[in-house]
Amino acid sequence: MAGIRYYDIRHVKGAISHIDIENSRVESAGTTFLDRAVIRVLGPKGWGILTVDRFERPRGKKFEDLLAKASALASLTGEEVALADAPSGMIPVPPKKTDPLAIDLEEKGRLLLMIEKAARIPGITSTRAGYTERYEDVLFEDSCGNEYTYSLVRSGYSILAVAGRGGEMQMGYRRRHALQDFPLDNGQKDGETAARRALALLDAKRPRGGTMNVVLDPELAGVFAHEAVGHASEADLVHEGSSVLRGKIGEQIGSGIVTIVDDPTLPEFGFEPVDAEGSRVERTIIVEKGVLTSYLHSRETLPAVGFGHTGNARAMPGEPPQVRMSNTYITEGDSTTEELIGECREGILLCGSRGGQVDPGRGVFQFNAEYGYLIEHGECRGMVRDVSLSGEILATLHGIELCAKKRKMHAGYCGKGGQTVPVSDGAPHVLVRDAVVGGSGHD
Amino acid sequence: MVAVGTIEKILMAGERQADEVEVYLATGTSVTARLRKREISYALGSEHQALSLRVIRGGRIGVSSTGNPQAWEACLDAALRSAALAAPQEWDGLPGPAENYGDFVNFDENVVPDPDRVREMVRGMEEGACRYPVEIVSGSAEISQYRIVLANSRGLYREERESLVSMGLETIREQSTGYEYETSWKMDIDPGSVGEKAAFLAATSHGGKDIPTGTYDVVLSPDAFGQLMAGSFLPALSGRNVHTGRSRLAHLNGQEVCDPALSFIDDPSNTRGIGSCRWDGEGTPTRTLHLVEKGVLRCFAYDLKTAYQYGCMTTGNAVRSGMGGGIAIGFHCMTLDGPRDEILEKDAIFVHDVVGAHTTNPLTGDFSVELANAYLYRGGNPEYPVRKAMLAGNVFEMLGETGGLSGEEKVVGCCVLPSIRLKNQKIIGN
Repeated sequence: MAGIRYYDIRHVKGAISHIDIENSRVESAGTTFLDRAVIRVLGPKGWGILTVDRFERPRGKKFEDLLAKASALASLTGEEVALADAPSGMIPVPPKKTDPLAIDLEEKGRLLLMIEKAARIPGITSTRAGYTERYEDVLFEDSCGNEYTYSLVRSGYSILAVAGRGGEMQMGYRRRHALQDFPLDNGQKDGETAARRALALLDAKRPRGGTMNVVLDPELAGVFAHEAVGHASEADLVHEGSSVLRGKIGEQIGSGIVTIVDDPTLPEFGFEPVDAEGSRVERTIIVEKGVLTSYLHSRETLPAVGFGHTGNARAMPGEPPQVRMSNTYITEGDSTTEELIGECREGILLCGSRGGQVDPGRGVFQFNAEYGYLIEHGECRGMVRDVSLSGEILATLHGIELCAKKRKMHAGYCGKGGQTVPVSDGAPHVLVRDAVVGGSGHD
Repeated sequence: MVAVGTIEKILMAGERQADEVEVYLATGTSVTARLRKREISYALGSEHQALSLRVIRGGRIGVSSTGNPQAWEACLDAALRSAALAAPQEWDGLPGPAENYGDFVNFDENVVPDPDRVREMVRGMEEGACRYPVEIVSGSAEISQYRIVLANSRGLYREERESLVSMGLETIREQSTGYEYETSWKMDIDPGSVGEKAAFLAATSHGGKDIPTGTYDVVLSPDAFGQLMAGSFLPALSGRNVHTGRSRLAHLNGQEVCDPALSFIDDPSNTRGIGSCRWDGEGTPTRTLHLVEKGVLRCFAYDLKTAYQYGCMTTGNAVRSGMGGGIAIGFHCMTLDGPRDEILEKDAIFVHDVVGAHTTNPLTGDFSVELANAYLYRGGNPEYPVRKAMLAGNVFEMLGETGGLSGEEKVVGCCVLPSIRLKNQKIIGN
């Protein structure tokens, strides 16, 4: 069609179900049915995009009219967008271990109640358990004749336990999410863990903030990899000029012990069989032994920025694709966790994540631990709470001194540009020298 | 467009199988232009539909929603199935019809999703940013219009129209970033001033100095203040969190919870609020709610479900959100009242933005955040930008000793907020 260099359509149908239990009552259960499509047309300059609920793929003249509507929007654009050629092809979707869709709602409610009941131990004043399940049927087609269709299901639960004593309250929180599986049938231990953590936090101190040595547990070190490095390596941010990693390919941006990888092919929570532009997905080594090696790219960013390959475009149903992470992790090292804590000598062990945020242009990140332990004379001592880590990305990367042997991945969600996508972050335990720890405690 | 007849069909089918049925139908269109550096990289047009159903049977509430209102039967089935799973509760009925619903509160018929209009807005921000030596990173402008119908089996039928304009720009000067945005339901935002402010922030934050760790008075901008309030203080005012043991304010009704100079008021008649409304998300008339009056906690916010469950009265605070338009307790237009003053006249650190506010402990309010676009003020003037520092404290405690509010206010999500001066805050410097 005249004036249209390329088009693609990504149509997602499916459903999101939830069950919400508060203090042993099923307060809410429900289903949201999805049917959203995003139609992109690349005009002479930039994109014209339509997003539509309840999409019925038109044919013939009606399809041409749809493309013309998107093309009219493209006429507003001024940026000359070039698209890289991208290898096409979908990798197999991992088979379901247990299919959540085959289990009825009442059984899910019963299992969730068991997890919630396991959290109701003496001293716990409030509990809340949630189950969510999301399945998506995805259909993709483009003007080059590529067509893909696949289905994925993600499900998971969370349990919040509140401990109260003498007017004080603290919470313990556990969550487990999985791709193509049903973790709900094995979660009672998490209920008890959340409760015991809440009780322990009642006696934990708020640490004094300042510069100190820090050991990050795998969950928090994974968040660090995601927030501090992953976002800054997204090539759309590099292209816009808001990444502190711009122009640094080939430079030593961190200690030689650090290798950071993003891999959408791993059967973890951030898995995709094909990206949202129909490009083949593959593993990216972002940082190798401290050297910035590659950015994460879409078909649009690769010609503009270079250094890497396509396959990192992701999107929520009915939204335009953006460069996103998938399964991002720091690779394993050679040390044991005990060696890390011994080497730390004086400092703090930070565990669990309450989330984080980054300003990639400024090169500053922040994230909050769920809890931690003071490290004194090379051993863990008293528990601390409400402690955060923040800092300058590059300085902190150079401060990583040791990585432990065993890596763990944690499922979660990442927000960017108004869209949330499922991801996983991973790492082994990591020792960081001279990190800035935030805490509102006093000596 | 879903015909009125469809809503009637849903109500009739629902009433055959449940005691009460509620139908919420939202349709909307929007146009967005996205700027990358100095060019528009994409223009997006959106057509949105959402049908959300609630059924009540024997005190059990079921919910379901769909982006395909034509497929309402599957949605109704799902709502009935979920009702069967829910625990029964006390329930005294959905709201009935009113005689007069009044005019639309946050609808401006001049706000039309027009591609040329969003292009002008983006260009306007770009021109504003030219006033300072910065690079534009990205920006966007969006115009939306929504039509909402709420109907229930008690005869309530209400139609609402809403409009929304929003725009934002991000700029950078070397490694200093600046981001500014504005939201309104009217076509009254000046794009040039949004662009100019974003550029001002990046330009003036450049070349910052470190400050020593210590105790300082801090002035939070409406953005920074709103972000810190959102994670712990506002949720603590929800009746649901109070009765389920997740609110730090639960046992403090009638007691002083912050500086006696401050009052927190949810004012659904505020003419600037983008969530202002005469009727809440389930059809209850809204009213001005004095949650905290001169430092003393007076009440909490309720929707029907929580009110019936715990023997209280709804305050008309049912708010619809999310893709499915589900109901939760929320605020229509949270505002702050207190002494207005020249709050930067005395020495302080002014903080325009914070990094990591959403990681605040939601129960206790403990937080530590990185400062962004912060300035040390001396003698009423900005002396220098702060290169890097953290603010650590507790959201509830930081409201204990304040030093005034600014005259100017900004729309920040479901709030309209001033800047606020907080005394004796802990800053971790370098």
